[in-house]
Amino acid sequence: MTNVASAPLLQVDAITMRFGGIVAIDNLSLDVKQGQILALMGPNGAGKTTTFHVIAGVHKPTLGRILFQGQDITGMRPDGRCRAGVARTFQITQPFEQLSVTENIMVGARPFYHSMAELRRASEAFADQVGLSDKLNVPAKGLSTGQRKRLELARAMATRPRLLLMDEVTGGVDMKSIPGLIDLVKSLRKDGLTIVLIEHNMKVINDLADEAIFMNRGARMVSGTPNQVATDPSVVELYLGEAKADVH
Amino acid sequence: MFRPFTAQALVGMVAALAAMLLLPLVSTDPYLMHVMVLVMIFGIFASAWNLVTGFAGLKTFGHHAFFGLGAYGSALMAIHLGLSPWLTLWLGGLLAGAAGLLIGTPILRIRSMPHVAIVTLGFAEIVRICIANLSGLTRGEMGLWGIPQFQGFTLPVVGKVSFTPADKVSFYYLALALTVLTLFVIVRLMRSKTGLAILAMRDGEDAAESLGVNLTRLKLLVFGLSAFIVGIAGGFYAHYLSILTPHSVVGVDLMISIIAMVLVGGLGTFSGPLVGALVLTVLIEALRDLENYRLLGYGLLIVLIVMFLPRGIVTLRERLSFRQQEQANHGS
Ligand SMILES: Nc1ncnc2c1ncn2[C@@H]1O[C@H](COP(=O)(O)OP(=O)(O)OP(=O)(O)O)[C@@H](O)[C@H]1O
Ligand SMILES: [Mg+2]
Repeated sequence: MTNVASAPLLQVDAITMRFGGIVAIDNLSLDVKQGQILALMGPNGAGKTTTFHVIAGVHKPTLGRILFQGQDITGMRPDGRCRAGVARTFQITQPFEQLSVTENIMVGARPFYHSMAELRRASEAFADQVGLSDKLNVPAKGLSTGQRKRLELARAMATRPRLLLMDEVTGGVDMKSIPGLIDLVKSLRKDGLTIVLIEHNMKVINDLADEAIFMNRGARMVSGTPNQVATDPSVVELYLGEAKADVH
Repeated sequence: MFRPFTAQALVGMVAALAAMLLLPLVSTDPYLMHVMVLVMIFGIFASAWNLVTGFAGLKTFGHHAFFGLGAYGSALMAIHLGLSPWLTLWLGGLLAGAAGLLIGTPILRIRSMPHVAIVTLGFAEIVRICIANLSGLTRGEMGLWGIPQFQGFTLPVVGKVSFTPADKVSFYYLALALTVLTLFVIVRLMRSKTGLAILAMRDGEDAAESLGVNLTRLKLLVFGLSAFIVGIAGGFYAHYLSILTPHSVVGVDLMISIIAMVLVGGLGTFSGPLVGALVLTVLIEALRDLENYRLLGYGLLIVLIVMFLPRGIVTLRERLSFRQQEQANHGS
């Protein structure tokens, strides 16, 4: 028992994910400790989103195991993982377009409330937390990219997760709502939630993450504090290289 | 959809039900009764198809298989086992429901909609060919006749109720009871938390699954329930007409009319399939005088309705009030 209690909340154990000839994840291992905020960084195509898919159960890895709370969940479907306490947002948002904002969130909160009225009220509270309280009855189809990202976050929070995977939640969100999102994530952590975030915005990473892992070509290239990672010569070189390539 | 009904919606439902209950008091003309019984049979079928396609987003085109299984299942059990049609109606429904679960199992693994369409259509064709070729049992293309009628009974106030070709009013009320029951079940389901999960699945399977929705279980539930309801409609049809041919109950043209009814009435709405069944069934009867031009006129009207009201007749009021608003906005 002590073993389980001290074990990391999530263990990604030597995962390889191949799609035909493409190796999207190459023998990646990482641990996420209870209460931690971990940032995944890396250039486009590094395998960050695929790592989320494997953790959330969308893809079964070609090799390796996923352990959650010490239990092997590699063979579990995404809905089972949600019930076990893993929630995620999608980089390319997937709102239920014909449902209203509140109803979208109700889908996530569904198991926890008996009556529809209670379920609706609780879901409206989640919408309020992400700043969508003026959009409650708007069909999700009519939301902007930033609003969709926030809706995904509210929906994921409504499943009462222990681990939350946030895939570029600040992408497309207008600059002035980013501080609000940072505060929200901080308060989620205070409530005991463990978070892995994929982020490109360095300010967000610096504000939130305890640890950062920089991925390249499906593998871990550098890890450490956000600052260590951002100033690592190989990371700097990779980004400078990209910047140069952009110039040409 | 998940809020209590508005007063307007409640008034609409009560008024529609009252009109249907009172219609035979106005006229018991056998032809009118016959058309209305057909409207309700098709309305039940269309509502059940709308459940899988309009609400759950599973685009299946083989539901006539379940109509045929219910019809032949109920008729054959009544003929060969000597069971009462009051019982075989439900057994036929169960047979269709079981077939729905069977075919639902491979379907729910397929994510590509064209493939789902072909697999379901193919399944229905297999059912039709089996019924046509098992002529020892079903009399094949010759048609199965002599299907027992529902036994009559005596009701307090009303007196003796009999189900004979001469007495269409009792069929009318029985069909109405089945329609109300079907609608009740579908509305209850869709307004529950399960209904919420069904709509979520329609709008995005990956997202629904990530929020704890068990897609496999939900698809089987919807498919099985829908097939069961269609099977009951088929069984009722069998004992009402007391003659069946493979083509009349498992023909693809039946499926096409049902799809047209749902599209014309309003896909993914509660009342749309019923309104569509009423409009198209009455329309095809009204066009009988046109003889050869009948199908042309029928097709043309469907095209017009779908063009001008792409979300169905039941959205007509919405469209009109939208127009008025636009005009008001332009005026100011
Ligand atoms: N379903 C799939 N089939 C084939 N290849 C895939 C699939 N999913 C991802 N890949 C490939 O795997 C690699 C990693 O993609 P992934 O989406 O994980 O990158 P990412 O780090 O999230 O990038 P970005 O910053 O652009 O979001 C890419 O080369 C991508 O083309
Ligand atoms: Mg990505």
